[in-house]
Amino acid sequence: MLTSRNRRLLAAAALAAVVVAVAAVTSSSGGQPAATIAKSTLFRGIPEQHGVLGDPRAPVTVTEYVDLQCPVCAAAARETLPTLVRDYVRTGKAKLDVRTLSFIGPDSQRAARFAAGAAEQGRLWPFLEAFYASQGQENSGYVTDEHLRSVAAAAGVDAGTALEYADSAAAQEPLNRANADAQRLGIDSTPTFTVARGDAEPHVLPAHEARSVAAAIDAELGR
Amino acid sequence: MSARAASAAVAVIGLGIAGYLTAVHFAGGTPACAVAHGCATVQQSKYAELAGVPVALLGLLGYAGVLASLARDGESARTVTAFLSLAGFGFSGWLTYVEVARLDAICSWCVASAVCMTLLAVLSVARAGL
Repeated sequence: MLTSRNRRLLAAAALAAVVVAVAAVTSSSGGQPAATIAKSTLFRGIPEQHGVLGDPRAPVTVTEYVDLQCPVCAAAARETLPTLVRDYVRTGKAKLDVRTLSFIGPDSQRAARFAAGAAEQGRLWPFLEAFYASQGQENSGYVTDEHLRSVAAAAGVDAGTALEYADSAAAQEPLNRANADAQRLGIDSTPTFTVARGDAEPHVLPAHEARSVAAAIDAELGR
Repeated sequence: MSARAASAAVAVIGLGIAGYLTAVHFAGGTPACAVAHGCATVQQSKYAELAGVPVALLGLLGYAGVLASLARDGESARTVTAFLSLAGFGFSGWLTYVEVARLDAICSWCVASAVCMTLLAVLSVARAGL
């Protein structure tokens, strides 16, 4: 026979279980990749060679260290890159390079290898933008061939060729380079921007907001 | 030390942890996905908010509620403490599962809060029903 105390306790436990279940369901909702990915015009008309966006003769090189699963990198692509592209890349003052790290998980690695395939086609930056626009739940296994095909379609990447490249040994090279460069420069978070004039050693920037990166480019241009 | 006093001590520790995490959430700074530290990854994930409310703030309110319920020692107050502690324990368990199984990132502050909630659940159940 349950005592009054135990009945109260059971009721409290049952109510708590209901609250937790509702909270868990609520926090789990959303997070699926976008069903359709809009095509963007941000990089239209800008040359891209070997993954470097902009005029190869631009005096300053801005390199962004990213993990394609990192939500902050997606935010930076929306909030920082448009300003940089408009004010510095289109004007020939700077070119954009990228290093694809993959520390968040296997989905990051798969995406980075496919990105290497997109770079081979001169479509890395449109691919990155389209991928961020369709980011799913971290490490949920969402970076499937089907997902990559839909991103590739939005970015103007030949998905079949890029998938083939992603499975080749060559696709690992950019990942190794990204890890080595990040280690050498002490970069342990994404997104991180570096700025360099010519072949000089790059400066690692402490912040990734557009004004911070712009100020660093201006400083290099003023040297 | 009585179960009530022990609960109050644990709730104060939890309040401090949740307060810190809430302050970090609202202070912002330059957010990033860090290689070695899971806290930023966890705090930047979609699980950091529940229906738009930061989970750190929910934790803060939960600990404050536990402390408030400990101010009285009647049957109803004990039941409220047990309810809040069990709900907090269950939700902390869910969030720890998310960190390990879905985000692959452990936030040490979040784990510390989960330990506090576990202790509170044990203490409050012992106090309310046994």
